[in-house]
Amino acid sequence: MRYHSSFHGLVTALLIMTLALPPVYGATPPEIQPAATATKPAPAPSGLWSYRPVKRPDVPVVQQKAWVRTSIDAFILAQLEAKGIKPSADADRATFIRRATLDVWGMIPTPEAVQSFVADRSPEAYEKLVDRLLASPHYGERQARRWLDLARYADSTGFENDATRPDMWRYRDYVIKAFNDDKPYDQFIKQQLAGDELDTGNQEGLIATGFLAGYPDNHNSRDLIQRRYQIVTDMTDTVGAVFLAQTVACARCHNHKFDKISEKEYFQLQAFFANTNEVNKIPVKDLGLQELEYRKAQAKWEDATKDIRAQQKAIVDAIREQGTKYYHERYLSDSRASIFKPEDQWTPLDRWVQHRVDNVTTEDSVAEYLEVAGADRKSKEYNLADVQRLEDYKKLYGELAKYDSLKPTKGSDTVTAITELGHPDAPPTFLLFGGNHERPMEEVQPGFPAAIANGEEPVIVPTAASSGRRTALANWIASPKNPLTARVYVNRVWSQYFSRGIVRTVSNFGKAGELPANPELLDYLADTFVQQGWSIKKLHREILLSSVYRQSSDERADVRRADPENKLLAVFPRERLDAEEIRDSFLVAAGKLDETVGGPSVFPPVPQGLNAGGFWKVSKDPKDFNRRSLYIFTRRSVAYPLLETFDMSSPQQVHSQRNVTTTPLQALTLYNDDQVLGWAQDLAGRVIREAGANESAQLDRLYQILFARNPDKLEKTTLLSFLDSHEKSIWDENGAGKLEVALPVGLKRNPTANPLREAAFVDLVHAVANSNDFVYRF
Amino acid sequence: MSDNKPLITLRRTLLQSAGTGFGYLALAGLLGDTALKANAAEANAINPLGPKQPNFQPRAKRIIYLFMEGAMSNVDTFEYKPQLQKGDGKPGPGGGTLNASKFQFKQYGESGSWFSELMPNIATHADELCWLRGLHTDTPAHPQAVVQLHTGAANAALTRPSMGAWLLYGLGTENQDLPGYITINPPSNFGGAVNYGSAFLPAYYQGTAISDQGFMPNVHAASPDALQREQLDLIQSMNRHLSATSGAPDAVDGIIRSYELGFRMEGKIAGLLDTSKEPQKVLDSYGIKPGPEGSFARQCLMARRLSEAGVRFVEIRQPGWDHHSNLHKGLIDQCSMIDRPTAALLSDLGERGLLDDTLVLFGSEFGRLPMGQGVDGRDHNITGYSMFLAGAGVKKGLNYGGTDEIGMKAVDGRMHINDLHATLLALMGLDHTQLTYRYAGRNFRLTDVAGVVQKGVFA
Repeated sequence: MRYHSSFHGLVTALLIMTLALPPVYGATPPEIQPAATATKPAPAPSGLWSYRPVKRPDVPVVQQKAWVRTSIDAFILAQLEAKGIKPSADADRATFIRRATLDVWGMIPTPEAVQSFVADRSPEAYEKLVDRLLASPHYGERQARRWLDLARYADSTGFENDATRPDMWRYRDYVIKAFNDDKPYDQFIKQQLAGDELDTGNQEGLIATGFLAGYPDNHNSRDLIQRRYQIVTDMTDTVGAVFLAQTVACARCHNHKFDKISEKEYFQLQAFFANTNEVNKIPVKDLGLQELEYRKAQAKWEDATKDIRAQQKAIVDAIREQGTKYYHERYLSDSRASIFKPEDQWTPLDRWVQHRVDNVTTEDSVAEYLEVAGADRKSKEYNLADVQRLEDYKKLYGELAKYDSLKPTKGSDTVTAITELGHPDAPPTFLLFGGNHERPMEEVQPGFPAAIANGEEPVIVPTAASSGRRTALANWIASPKNPLTARVYVNRVWSQYFSRGIVRTVSNFGKAGELPANPELLDYLADTFVQQGWSIKKLHREILLSSVYRQSSDERADVRRADPENKLLAVFPRERLDAEEIRDSFLVAAGKLDETVGGPSVFPPVPQGLNAGGFWKVSKDPKDFNRRSLYIFTRRSVAYPLLETFDMSSPQQVHSQRNVTTTPLQALTLYNDDQVLGWAQDLAGRVIREAGANESAQLDRLYQILFARNPDKLEKTTLLSFLDSHEKSIWDENGAGKLEVALPVGLKRNPTANPLREAAFVDLVHAVANSNDFVYRF
Repeated sequence: MSDNKPLITLRRTLLQSAGTGFGYLALAGLLGDTALKANAAEANAINPLGPKQPNFQPRAKRIIYLFMEGAMSNVDTFEYKPQLQKGDGKPGPGGGTLNASKFQFKQYGESGSWFSELMPNIATHADELCWLRGLHTDTPAHPQAVVQLHTGAANAALTRPSMGAWLLYGLGTENQDLPGYITINPPSNFGGAVNYGSAFLPAYYQGTAISDQGFMPNVHAASPDALQREQLDLIQSMNRHLSATSGAPDAVDGIIRSYELGFRMEGKIAGLLDTSKEPQKVLDSYGIKPGPEGSFARQCLMARRLSEAGVRFVEIRQPGWDHHSNLHKGLIDQCSMIDRPTAALLSDLGERGLLDDTLVLFGSEFGRLPMGQGVDGRDHNITGYSMFLAGAGVKKGLNYGGTDEIGMKAVDGRMHINDLHATLLALMGLDHTQLTYRYAGRNFRLTDVAGVVQKGVFA
């Protein structure tokens, strides 16, 4: 095996670094250590900090007691006071509500909401606001988007044919609902990992396994043994990163270079997933409007194409045996060994292969045989009857395609889930030499990595229908005793609000990850989270009501000097809105947002000329254009351009943190994209409608909508002078009389209105919405 | 700011007084690339795409890759195998029947390289080409092989950055008015955007996709320049107003810059992609015409214009080489679409002196078998196939490596995709073992843990 030198140099450097560092975790700085705890014997530190049990710290005693609104503040303040830094003053109320609404809902607040919060003089004004935000379904939508990043959620399989997964949106809706219902996090974990085993008879549990079923897949793969290995690899690596923040994937080809996870332990972890199968087309139990409408549309197509399909079927029936055999023979040899085995000899692995082949075989794949038997004179399959059949089949295929427009473009009446097909016996899992599935070594049994498990062993109770393995794994992960689970999740939530986690490497709590900046705070949050029944909303609430969250984001020179990276949070971190926040906030500002929660994914317009072929068929229903970004179809091979430009997540693997890049394409999108221009026209119309004809009032309204404030005097003067000069420039540009201008939309035509002035106003709105004030939250 | 003078005036005031800072930025917008170059060092402080130092003296500054998607048959085009021609109808290794090429081959130039009658124009460049004849890859399926060709890994659980993204990460861009990595007519299938994506590298390293008609989303100004410039001035004045406050995000400077770059790109890239003003002689030499037939010719000409303007990595694509059947006529049609434009591109680059620092790469994700398939076809071959390099840093008229006597298996000068990538990076002045990016707890590189630089091709 060859490894390159810099990689190994790094390992050495890290090892040296780790050795040189004092055991930071648990060592509270003495000046803020309360006297009572100082006498307690210190626990003997062993192993990596994150593998040691969570230990509830005492809330530190601080001097500036008035600043402490929740215990979180005491932990933050203790570190600040130790450094002699004062926290920042509270942000003003309008800034706060814009910040909190963006953070909790993922979009800007309405001017009315801002006004009412600013005017609310009651002592519980902040509590009321936070509770209102958390009670809205928009909270679940926003949290779901964060979770779907981790779950590498997509509505398609990826790879070359990137097939649509028509049921995945049910998993997305399950996630939204889980957050909105404040489903305890331990339940949320268990359902996603083993809902099929735990909630038998309950479709919610089946849908929840969409977490596992969302792996990238290649339906055309001819090497099914390899494909299965890649699928369980994806599940193992995803679970390791999402719940445990462990880079277990590193241990697949060799023992982990940094962490105490051996290659054997990697495959022991993989063994929990050994018996999983993707099951499609499970009929939905409780039919809703969506399913009924889908069926109606589907029935229309079925009706119209009945004859064509019957004729096709007759052709396929005539060659079904040969055709199926020919199709099966095209799999690689180790797959064929399973495919051609009689059912009474099936091993669990054969069963998997058989099920997989069933899943991906269509009438068309059987008919592929005709391409040889009806066309290739040299082949042994060639016969005259098939020449005619091929011709007929092709003709029918073309005929059938004519009815494609009748097919429902979205939705389904089925569920996709991970199950074990009613069998408790799993295929064996082997330690694979170098991670190569063609080089199995010793067989391994499901097991937890010893360094993390603190002595716990899996308790596997097979049921009649399942191996029980994933239940055992889920129970261990979702246990209050697991040292990682709660820490990892509270850290993820923390990073949503403060731009980075207490542990900056949110998906790496291993040795190569960073140490927690405030270990006591991390353990306080983790312990409180578990104590409060794994309530996610309570966690959010405490953060949202803390003084540290309420601080102003104004830069301070003293903090710049003392804590240049703002690790101690004496200033609230400003952040560019993420891709979905930008688009959704535009929709809110334009007054266009369709607030429907859930349902099949939609296809809004894409820039003309996007080379997406049949992969992006714009929705027929224009209402679909105004849905929240979360509902836009996630096609693995075609990222939605507007969102992609602003660093949306990649659905190819666990996406832990959004990038914030600054590219000219973003600028080009904001000032040239048709949709953005359309929103500017809508917004201009809305402003004129709501503010009346007075231009000064219009500018106030525009700023209230976009920035939750009024323009200052200087800004207003600038904007008014822009209107004057721009109106004149439009007139000049229109010298030839052929200039097309964009006018405000949604207004009754006013015959006395000056179209030049109106066009200038649209350009003004467009420019103002392009400014940093809009795409940042402060 | 005690008076109520409009902010737009404020911007002009700054312009007059400032040699650095925001005033400089706006000034650069008015003066073009020159002012920017003078301040390249400052630009790099905020611009991760600014030019960077390679690991060692580069032999080439930029690459044009001509991607023949679907797997061109080598033994019918560039790979003359007398034993295959003699063995027509005999059993092939591992089953099937040897299928001699139906096309006539001839030797060209002093190098004596063989070309079939399908490639008469490329053949005239025989003595400039550096053939890599011993390539091999891992998977015989298009999607995996295409992705491996572009990212180094076929079946990785983790999507890897594309080679162009690695190049930008390592070298930055030459021309700050243009994207550094452009892919024309990329596939929507076979991994789609993965093939020009940045994966876990920051998003600004990804390729910018352009259609074979020269289309790029949102690059055309939504309103006349003068009007948009006024809008832009307003945006910039607001951003500067904000940046002067204590609440300004750190990135405002970068955003102000990106708006100016966007504005400059509008004019520049749209102009570069518009080939209509090229002299008729040039248009004729490439064989420019509308519609799918002229797709590759248009791409070749756009590639030359983009490369000339300093785009680090340009990829163009001709699909349709997957000849499981209809090999004979299919090859005639396909080759007629790419032979002349490819030759014209090489000539054009040469005449402009661009081959001195531009490297051209030509080829497919794998090859096709010497055995026949069906009546008139060939199946995939991953065990031996060829690609060619031309231009900066490589030997001219070289045949490096080779397959066995029937063109089946690479036996000599063997090059895996990882070796190809290592070699390309080396030609660009980058050590493939040093070009690493830390992600998910470990260092990643284009060549993973493999890759041997084939120094034998170096000039």
